[in-house]
Amino acid sequence: MNFLAASIESLGAKVAGWITVGYGMFAFLVQASLLLLERSTWNRATYDVVIKQIYFTAVQILHVFLGYTLVISWLIITIILSTARDFGLTEFASEMTIRVLVLELLPFLTALFIALRSGSAINTEVALMKVNNELDALAHCKVPPMQFEFLPRLIGGVVSVVTLAGLAGLLALLMGYIAIYGGSTAGFEPFTQTIAKIFDFRIVAGLLVKCVLFGLAVTLIPVTAGLETPKKLFMVPVSVLRGMMRVFFAIVAIEVVSLALKYV
Amino acid sequence: MARVALDLPLRANLSALDNIALIPLYQRHYGADESTRQARAMLEQLGHAEIALLRDPDMTPSQRFVTQLARALILKRPRLVIDRPGAMLYDVPYPAFIGQLAAQAEMTGIWEIFDFSWNQALYQA
Repeated sequence: MNFLAASIESLGAKVAGWITVGYGMFAFLVQASLLLLERSTWNRATYDVVIKQIYFTAVQILHVFLGYTLVISWLIITIILSTARDFGLTEFASEMTIRVLVLELLPFLTALFIALRSGSAINTEVALMKVNNELDALAHCKVPPMQFEFLPRLIGGVVSVVTLAGLAGLLALLMGYIAIYGGSTAGFEPFTQTIAKIFDFRIVAGLLVKCVLFGLAVTLIPVTAGLETPKKLFMVPVSVLRGMMRVFFAIVAIEVVSLALKYV
Repeated sequence: MARVALDLPLRANLSALDNIALIPLYQRHYGADESTRQARAMLEQLGHAEIALLRDPDMTPSQRFVTQLARALILKRPRLVIDRPGAMLYDVPYPAFIGQLAAQAEMTGIWEIFDFSWNQALYQA
């Protein structure tokens, strides 16, 4: 009986914890969104920090990211093509390539890439800022941490995921064409027709929303996890661990919901 | 009131100049160039222009204190409180060091030092 009560209590505490975390993230997002609408937010200083964030999150890693996209795309396209040939379904190869790579796999891998590289760094930095009282010092100087530290990271994350996923998709399309039709221009018409058939307004809007949500997940969750850190240095690794687990589950949840909405 | 205290540290990933320039940039909405110029002028006024590009982990305790002081001075608040300077300035004889900075800063407001009573002898020396 005691075991049952303890289990229920523990489950209740966990659920209450999840609700608190979820509410914290939602409240933070609302606060950030409201700040976006304020004119005073868009000063030169915030703009400069946003540009810096986009540079560190997307531009600095561009060559590594494109190389990684090239290898993954090439492998997946080769697998799809050889499987399609084996089953006599070559005419569906280009559609399959676009659906698997451009709509699903590449945005997902882009989000994971940014989460591992920038999300973990953001989580650590915010946690250290909290522990070292740097946020209190900024508040004392009337420098708003939301405008100076957090909002630029959110915007940078969203812009980076959307642009990198777009670039990866374009590269995959180009590689898909080369793999299927080689250097010939004869396949241009059927290939562009396939693209036009797949990319209707609903799909493009869905892809964009998914990438924006990925971008928010890889920045908003690490920031809020960092802010939850108690003022104890040994809690920083715990904060990063929690934050990154939440990011992973959020990315998977977004992908699963997106797949379910499209195909179920 | 502007405070210089151990519990109000600098932003660790910014240089001394950027830490100070944040104030005119965000509070008085100057451009980046003008804010940096004001920050540099403040460090020059305190006689420590050479620390402009150093980040917090690369500074000595006295350099860190000067940057924190410059950040507090550029706030242009009527009262400046230096809270337990011995905790920040453990590498120099600090009453004399603060006196020297105060003479250079030509600050019009009030400077107050909050320190432990057992350190009073240091200020009378």
